[in-house]
Amino acid sequence: MTITDQDYQFFLAAIKYSSKYDFSQYSEKSLKRRLGKVLSDNRININILINKLKNSSEFVEKIVKEITVNTTELFRDPQVWQAIRYAILPKLKSNSVINIWHAGCSSGQEVYSMLILLNELEIFDKVKIYATDLNSDVLDLAKIGEYKYRFNIGYLDNFDKVIKENPYNYEEYNDVPYEKYFDIDKTNDLIRMKDFLKEKPIFKRHDLVTENNTLYVKFDLILCRNVIIYFNYNLQSKVFDLFHKNLYDDGCLILGLHETILGSHSVKYQKKGHGYYKN
Amino acid sequence: MNYNAVIIGGSAGSFQVVTKILNSLPKTFPMPVLLCLHRLKHVRSGFVEALSLKSNIPIEEPFDKDKLIPGKAFLAPANYHMYIELANRIALSTEDSVNHSRPSIDLSFITASNAYRNKLIGIILSGANKDGAFGLKKVHDNGGVTIVQDPEECEVRTMTQSALHLTKVDYVYSTDLIIKFLLKLT
Repeated sequence: MTITDQDYQFFLAAIKYSSKYDFSQYSEKSLKRRLGKVLSDNRININILINKLKNSSEFVEKIVKEITVNTTELFRDPQVWQAIRYAILPKLKSNSVINIWHAGCSSGQEVYSMLILLNELEIFDKVKIYATDLNSDVLDLAKIGEYKYRFNIGYLDNFDKVIKENPYNYEEYNDVPYEKYFDIDKTNDLIRMKDFLKEKPIFKRHDLVTENNTLYVKFDLILCRNVIIYFNYNLQSKVFDLFHKNLYDDGCLILGLHETILGSHSVKYQKKGHGYYKN
Repeated sequence: MNYNAVIIGGSAGSFQVVTKILNSLPKTFPMPVLLCLHRLKHVRSGFVEALSLKSNIPIEEPFDKDKLIPGKAFLAPANYHMYIELANRIALSTEDSVNHSRPSIDLSFITASNAYRNKLIGIILSGANKDGAFGLKKVHDNGGVTIVQDPEECEVRTMTQSALHLTKVDYVYSTDLIIKFLLKLT
């Protein structure tokens, strides 16, 4: 379904008018495409959509959940997780407390990836891990910690690359069984995270676009992966500013593999490998 | 006729063809070359290096919001969709797969055709699914030039035949003729 510029502006205005959300600084191509998908999934036209948005806050919640992108994986981009394991976390090992924030955690796969790594590095107990997302439905999924098995068979390959193999030493092989961290239930087609992992994180609903840091702590490490690609340049700057203010000195920000810090904020961070360190 | 960008889509059997095309383009090629190629999900590195071996123009997997510049090739990164924004910039997305593919050739072609309208050249090469057919139609509908690799020459014909089925394309060309066409633009 094609969305005209005028429809798009009316849609943005309707959301802003009838909710606390603001999509006006989202990346236009992606959002227009998602909007088209929402219209065809709901079999309605743009005028009906806009009217319903104005009249029902439940409908706004529903549409916001449908329009945001929630794809994620366990150990997505293994090379990044190898860097976290061998370069980024070791620097924090001597801290008495380590605060980590997964901003835009979606259904939680990368939160569990981090928890598994922390346990392997024997720093699980001194870490406080916070995970937030705009969408309360995906946060509920993150809390449940169950994922489809067959569709996500690649999770196991990623696990092997990060947990079992060592890219810096090909002779090393740690035969860590999957059951240490999750059960594979082939009958029900599920991967189930162990309780000791599920109990650890603090999950909280949070909107990066309109809210400040509502976790009220500062962080050693912030992961915000494949979130800012959906934001325009101005909004990206605002988010980088929020992260900068809430990182400890020498704190580290990890973005998606093809995301980068542009413009005035680029000088406030120093890139080393896969991490952006606060200057 | 002046053009502002070339976009190439391919899947199984397209690697050699793309390599041959890139190796033939001069350093001064006057527009950006957008590449949306399917690859095995877990072959995520080494692809750019392989394409770059003999290419005269630099090839990169762009970051989100990178600017498209002439004389450079931009390869859709593994596991991301690559959109083209109006301001000559790349936008990446991790939305679900389309046609079982991420990157999806259709999405790159559709967004590029919106951005470049009749100033776009769309080329579909050998491949094993129908991704790209709808995107090429959009290029055509927006007045751009459409080229499909001659199915006779393709290692796998599904992609080119799907494209030919959906759109009355401008040219059905062998690899050599595709190269000849592009060199005329320099």
